[in-house]
Amino acid sequence: MKTKDFITIDAIDTTPKTHGDILIEARDVEVIFNLRGRKLKALRRAGLELRSGETMTVVGESGSGKSVLSKTLIGMLDKNGKITGGSIIYRGVDLVKVTDEQDWLAIRGKRIAMIFQDPMTALNPLKKIGEQIREVIVLHRGLDAMASRIAALDMLVKVGITDPERRYEQYPHEFSGGMRQRVVIATAIACNPEILICDEPTTALDVTIQAQILDLIKKLQKDMGLSVLFITHDLGVVAKMADRIAVMYAGQVVEEGTVEDVFYDARHPYTWALLASLPQLGIKGKELFAIKGTPPSLFKEIQGDAFAPRNPFALEVDFYHEPPMFEVSSTHRARTWYLDPRAPKVEPPEVVVRLREHLKQTTGR
Amino acid sequence: MKQVPVLGPELFVPAQAGAGEEEQIGYEHYSYWRSTFRTFLKNPVSVVLLTIIILLTAVSFVYPVLSGTDPNKVALDVERWNLSPEQGGGIFGTDQLGRDIWARTWYGTRTSLLLGFIIALLDVGIGMIAGALWGYVKKLDRIMTEIYNILTNIPQTVLLLLLSYILRPGFWTIIIALCSTGWIGIARFVRNKVLMIRDSEYNIASRTLGTPLMRIITKNILPYLVSILIMEAALTIPYSIGAEVFLGFIGLGLPLDTVSLGNLVNMGKNNFLLYPYQLTWPTLVLALVTVSFYIAGNKFADASDPRNHV
Amino acid sequence: MGKYILRRFWQSIITVLIVLFVMFMLLRLMPKENYFTRDDYINMTEEDRTAYLRNLGVLDNPFVQFFKFIRGFVTGDLGRSITVYPKTPITEILKEKIPYSLWFGLVSVLLSVVLGFLMGISMANNKDKLADQLGTIYVVAVRAIPSLVYLFLIQMWVTHIFNLPMVFYEDEPASWILPAISLSLSGIAWYAIWLRRFMVDEENKDYIKFAIAKGLPRSYVMKRHVLRNALVPLVQYLPSQILLTIAGSLIIESIYSIPGMGGLLVYAIRQQDNTLVQALVCIYSILGVFGVFIGDILMAIVDPRIKLTSAKVEREVTA
Repeated sequence: MKTKDFITIDAIDTTPKTHGDILIEARDVEVIFNLRGRKLKALRRAGLELRSGETMTVVGESGSGKSVLSKTLIGMLDKNGKITGGSIIYRGVDLVKVTDEQDWLAIRGKRIAMIFQDPMTALNPLKKIGEQIREVIVLHRGLDAMASRIAALDMLVKVGITDPERRYEQYPHEFSGGMRQRVVIATAIACNPEILICDEPTTALDVTIQAQILDLIKKLQKDMGLSVLFITHDLGVVAKMADRIAVMYAGQVVEEGTVEDVFYDARHPYTWALLASLPQLGIKGKELFAIKGTPPSLFKEIQGDAFAPRNPFALEVDFYHEPPMFEVSSTHRARTWYLDPRAPKVEPPEVVVRLREHLKQTTGR
Repeated sequence: MKQVPVLGPELFVPAQAGAGEEEQIGYEHYSYWRSTFRTFLKNPVSVVLLTIIILLTAVSFVYPVLSGTDPNKVALDVERWNLSPEQGGGIFGTDQLGRDIWARTWYGTRTSLLLGFIIALLDVGIGMIAGALWGYVKKLDRIMTEIYNILTNIPQTVLLLLLSYILRPGFWTIIIALCSTGWIGIARFVRNKVLMIRDSEYNIASRTLGTPLMRIITKNILPYLVSILIMEAALTIPYSIGAEVFLGFIGLGLPLDTVSLGNLVNMGKNNFLLYPYQLTWPTLVLALVTVSFYIAGNKFADASDPRNHV
Repeated sequence: MGKYILRRFWQSIITVLIVLFVMFMLLRLMPKENYFTRDDYINMTEEDRTAYLRNLGVLDNPFVQFFKFIRGFVTGDLGRSITVYPKTPITEILKEKIPYSLWFGLVSVLLSVVLGFLMGISMANNKDKLADQLGTIYVVAVRAIPSLVYLFLIQMWVTHIFNLPMVFYEDEPASWILPAISLSLSGIAWYAIWLRRFMVDEENKDYIKFAIAKGLPRSYVMKRHVLRNALVPLVQYLPSQILLTIAGSLIIESIYSIPGMGGLLVYAIRQQDNTLVQALVCIYSILGVFGVFIGDILMAIVDPRIKLTSAKVEREVTA
């Protein structure tokens, strides 16, 4: 099979990027799902930036839209979903406008790769894992049988699988969860993509294995110059992996900035609430902090700030008008009326202040 | 939607406490039956078929009551024998003994439908009880699995033939023959459901929250079972009619004086070359009945699967 | 693997014995008059009849009878026909009949598999579009309408349209075609619908999504992942389907007058030839069990997940 035939997006700008250049710029993306006859707005003008060589983590609760956003980047929304607005510019091409499956073939695997959450079901149970890596190589790099096999073995070594020759011939059920995820990663990077999207790859794994996989991803990023979009709901993972963070709530990115920006200088009340709920900040004897209430239903139109009902310090305006993105600095943005010059000065809860101290002590940053 | 005030500086003050607003979640009331019927009726084909089925069943049961025509009445006047509809023999014509085929068709449909319903009921009845026991009583599992393996190994056709051969061919023979292997499939299905209910996490969670067993049964088990019953009934009809036709062909079917679709078809077949209408009309009705029930049954099976309630 | 095969083999033998036992006992419920032709029954005296029956072994204890039957079975003695071919050893009768059934059976299976698979693949690839809908109409017609109905009508109409013979003559090649095709019709429907169902099931699985995310083209994924994986559960049912084109063959052999085993069974039933019915029914039962056995073995070979000493393979009940 020759992939050369499938490259029809000639518009892709192939100039090499330097570290820090913006690779993907998503703006005002809207996605609607058709569910049992009702419409669910999963993304409500979400946007973010992915920069070359960096790890951008997207944090949020279930239902915040983080998975949906990642799926739009490789054109794999579920059948009942549609992108109804916004743009996602990647190397001069608006991915929102790419509808032809043939065009996507030039991007998936080759330029943007994705690994999913559950390693147990991500691999074909009836095919040898070596083959599953090799077929991608054959397809995208056009190597012959022998060369592609060697390349596949190479990948296995790269992801830290010992005894690759033997492992190559084995089937997925002969691997443990962590090993399977390594194989999945190997398959994803087999064609040297520029961007790797990781959709909660460690959620289904043991904590100890989790650390190993995260280390592996970081190592691969350094070795291969990957740009990583990492989706997770675990702030601990964020602290470990992130260069930049995007916080999502109810289908929107509510805060975006570098790790320092978000951890030390968070501006959005939801981010405060997230940080405050870290158990590490709990004081012995006192109740742990938890955000009251539940995220809003995305079936209904949301008026104003989506987080307002759960925010004990909300302003009147939060219930009527949706806040625009305010710039805190060149790297830091947040969607909250607190940043409007007309707003009163609001201090983050003491928990957050304590976090800063805690972080300074433990990481020395 | 609340009235939207203008975006002015006066809005930038702390808001009054909005009690309970934070708990508005996206829960919509989900009714299993309502969703099932909605999904089923969404497809125009299903609606058409359902109408056909209701009409056919109604006519076949109402016609014998309303009409005066005796399907078994042999015409003494030879002129009335083998009269096609064009020659004035009635809507479907008359057969080789002058009997009215239109009447015979509807009486026959009634018989065949009755056969199918009874078989379905017995299958599901026996199957449900057997399956429930199989699921609950752990000791039964091994022996029931063995019985299951054996029964599914016996070719259905062969058993059908054998039982019809041994017992007198008749209405109840067919019922016994078809039920003898049919129940085990339902039993296995019910047993799986029972196991799921016993061991499934959402039910354990339900029980820990204090949900009484009765409620679990009515809310979780019963809807499934009723939908199996409906699905089985719908799919058994074409199957039992097929068996009846098949047995009739071999000579082990219902007694020839019984009016049934199978007998009509077999007799009509014999006269096909001379009087084709004697076969074509009953066959048309038969095809209509079997196809409608088959498709509707399958569509209902799809609709009652909660995963399709999207 | 060898252990698994051996285990399944013994299970099958035991199942066969149980099934044969059930069949046999059911037959014993038969009233004794049926062992005679009408004339014989009237003409023989009570003593003669008793002697005759004793000779047949029918008066013995049922278990003893069963034992003798099995012994005869294994040694190749299936008894003698009573009414159809009086006094002829059944094994000889079968020797003549089996080749026809075998030939038609194999040919129709070949047609069913090839055409059925092609249809199933096309239906799965064009899900909900025209090809799928046409295929569904065909499958529904074949499965809902009793086979006698469409087989008979085909015999009447198609022979008329294409000028084919309505009855089978060994020397006339044209008369071989229609029965073979007719026999394969329900098989085609069966393979098509099941392959389509398995393929559609596979398509929704996570690893297919990952395969697409890897950048593999859809056609490649359908062929190398979906189809390949869908064939695996299908393989399990293949042998039993092959061995059991019985109901169809009973009808086909009757209406086309083909001198095969199916037609023989129909005739034997009509003539109430107990021993013949018994022998044939037992053979068909054995074929059934054997088919399931081969199916399980094939599945174990094809699916790497089934380990050597694994427990019973769960079998779905298929219509």
